[in-house]
Amino acid sequence: MRAPEPIPGTRIVGASEVLDQVRVPVDHPVLRFASDEVFVLGDFRWTGVESVLEEDERGFVGWWLTPEETAHVLHHVEWPLPGERPALAQGLVAGVPARLWLDDDRALLLVHAAYAHELVARLP
Amino acid sequence: MSPSGRFLLDGMAQTFEPGDTIAMAVVRAGGHPGHGGTLCLAGDCGSCVARVDGIAYVRTCLTPAHEGLAVERHPADGPPGWAEAPASRTIEVHHAETDVAVIGGGPAGRAAAEEARQAGRSVELLDGASGDEVVAIYAGPTVIVRRADGMRHLRARDVIVATGTAEIQPVGPGSRLEGLLTARAARRLHEAGVDLGRAVAIGPPPEGVPCTPLAGELVRLEGEGRVAAVVTRSADGELRSACDTVILDLGRSPRDVLSRMADDLPVTVVGSAAEAYPLPAPPTAGVVCPCVGTTVEDLEGVWERGFREVELVKRASLAGTGTCQGSVCLPHVRAWIAARAGEPPPPFTARPASRQITLAEAAADVHLDAFRRTPLHDEHVAAGARMDRFGGWWRPWHYGDHLAEYRAVREAVSLGDVSTLGKFVVAGPDAVEFLQRLYPTDVATIRPGRSRYALLLNERGHVIDDGMICRETDDRFVLTFTTGGAGNAEAWMRDWLETWGLDVRLMDRTMSLAAINVTGPRAAELLARAGLAEPPRFLQHARVELAGMACHVMRLSFTGEASFEIHHPVDRSVELWRGLLALGEDLGIRPHGLQALFALRLEKGHVIVGMDTELDTTPRRLGMDWAVNMEKPDFLGRSALARTSGQADHRRLVGLTMDGEAPMEGSTIWAGGAVIGHVTSAFASPTLDRAVMLGWQKRTPFPEQVEIDGRPASVTPPPFYDPEGARARA
Repeated sequence: MRAPEPIPGTRIVGASEVLDQVRVPVDHPVLRFASDEVFVLGDFRWTGVESVLEEDERGFVGWWLTPEETAHVLHHVEWPLPGERPALAQGLVAGVPARLWLDDDRALLLVHAAYAHELVARLP
Repeated sequence: MSPSGRFLLDGMAQTFEPGDTIAMAVVRAGGHPGHGGTLCLAGDCGSCVARVDGIAYVRTCLTPAHEGLAVERHPADGPPGWAEAPASRTIEVHHAETDVAVIGGGPAGRAAAEEARQAGRSVELLDGASGDEVVAIYAGPTVIVRRADGMRHLRARDVIVATGTAEIQPVGPGSRLEGLLTARAARRLHEAGVDLGRAVAIGPPPEGVPCTPLAGELVRLEGEGRVAAVVTRSADGELRSACDTVILDLGRSPRDVLSRMADDLPVTVVGSAAEAYPLPAPPTAGVVCPCVGTTVEDLEGVWERGFREVELVKRASLAGTGTCQGSVCLPHVRAWIAARAGEPPPPFTARPASRQITLAEAAADVHLDAFRRTPLHDEHVAAGARMDRFGGWWRPWHYGDHLAEYRAVREAVSLGDVSTLGKFVVAGPDAVEFLQRLYPTDVATIRPGRSRYALLLNERGHVIDDGMICRETDDRFVLTFTTGGAGNAEAWMRDWLETWGLDVRLMDRTMSLAAINVTGPRAAELLARAGLAEPPRFLQHARVELAGMACHVMRLSFTGEASFEIHHPVDRSVELWRGLLALGEDLGIRPHGLQALFALRLEKGHVIVGMDTELDTTPRRLGMDWAVNMEKPDFLGRSALARTSGQADHRRLVGLTMDGEAPMEGSTIWAGGAVIGHVTSAFASPTLDRAVMLGWQKRTPFPEQVEIDGRPASVTPPPFYDPEGARARA
């Protein structure tokens, strides 16, 4: 597995119904980590919404996967993949906590930098 | 189909014909692939298992012979010993999903698969003859398949078992001789051109196989090693028939081992595997379970001891726990119990795996826990650190000289990587209310810019973690927790947030932020060189620009010296670490590992939750009542503490000192000739010139003088070092 690249972004925590209103430019994929949390890729600030907690996030790294790499990664996934696109799946990849963001034409394997070495070692 | 050739059998050349399995080739040569017993040549029994290319318990009847194989029979009198492991290979696991998994490629399996397809469902047909050897069904249901290219874990919504039937094998005198075949095995061998010699048949003779049918029931098989004659009994009396081979068709039993390991799962059995078959006559003598060696006498023994339920008979006699998982013995055990209980019991449960798999196959795709690395991991390794696992992270234990690291903290300045601490942001209109309920300290009295050490208690008033509360604004806080306790602390907070329904946002920043502890009497001087001329005062914190990056600096002290915990983005941690080391070079700076940190904090008497505490440790037992504000109307654990505060307690954590070397942590504490507790932390302090310890006393009255390691020790209230705390506040 090649070295991962930094995946900077913004984490936003707030009430579910508030986060449902997050609107971002199309080049900023929005990953819904939980009902009360989203991660917006890239340089983005959701200004003017006081009820949310918004923090720069520099702790993620990841891989934008080719179709071949995606197939390889999926060999190491034990859980069912969502059918719709785009979709975020979260769970263990080769035993490492990770996230998979799947779109029609691309996929992102996202992991905390603290775990990246484990994933690199386990995905030969 | 393999061409003819030779392989090694117990070190001797063994020829085979095209299409032969190993077992077939051995029988063709007049031998037996094991050490006697009926051969089914269908994978149902364990009579043919052998070590093949270093792997034991391989069913030779299912393994094609090919040039160069090395086959060793298992010992006749016990399990195979350890052998040099074959060259390791990585077993790949392929995960897949389907609506319906059909196991068995016979008519019933194919029909079930077609029916499911017609219903619009995705179907996987798993047929052993096509290379899909199903060895287990687990919850999910997940079907575990062994293939030539690795293991396949197939998750299915429904599983259909269509595996047909196995043939009943004989139990009685002589049933472990060579030369015994089931009817199906005889037909396969005949079709492969194997000469069976003078063959006789008990039961319906297999079509087309030259043999002499014998009337009546089987009485015994005679011979030395190999069968030489069979004795049958009919209305005309007993008849002894000389022979080279006995072909046995004694009935059928469902080949349902896979469904028997899948209770409560959506597994359906179809075809002949689902049918009921008459049980054989109850055995009266001989080996019932050839895999384990359980005899009829063994069954009688367990029955007499009161084990009369089929699962208990299995456990007590071990019948059904061997290579074939009861495929051979189950009908006989049921018949034997039926003869005593009046009716046949249900079949016993089967356990995965139904076929022997190697440890590599079982462990394929199973991973050790993933341990996290801080962004400074490579810096530590480059500095010669011995890394070890703590609380789910790799952390530096020392950098080669923990006493030098200790002295750097006490006398100069040192850096510690504390990125592993739990770090959370709590914000929102109800943030104060939430933290007031969560912590035993009065959070409302913490002013913005200030911080406070706090215990985290559960409802029973037991200490579950500790850390700092840093108030940033009226409604925003940063909390820290221990490295090992951060995950539980988050779950704990989220549970209570949901329960209380408060308007609060919680964000875990543990892996988003790194943290470096700058500690020592020259720490402030170092920070000034990095651009922070006025660092926060003791128990204050501030958002500052340090070495060109936005940092959150918290002034506290775990080491007993002035300490500044610098929280910063993980992607700039190496830059900050290197920068601080360079700036402090002439100050005698060096990093310290956990070994030094544990010693430094012990001199101050600071506890480590999980190391010095136990599961039911209260603040009172730690001597930390000062961390609890019982004037607050409510907080988690308050009612339990109020209820127990007036009761006598027989446990306390105390400070201890003694001359000489420190005892091992865990050493027993003695008083009056009895063990009264144990040491939780110990360190031979070079500063104090004696050993300092924390330890539990669990017997009252609490003695002031004790013995540890056969040496006298004294109870000494901590802190042992700088009791006024002047250095930490300097």
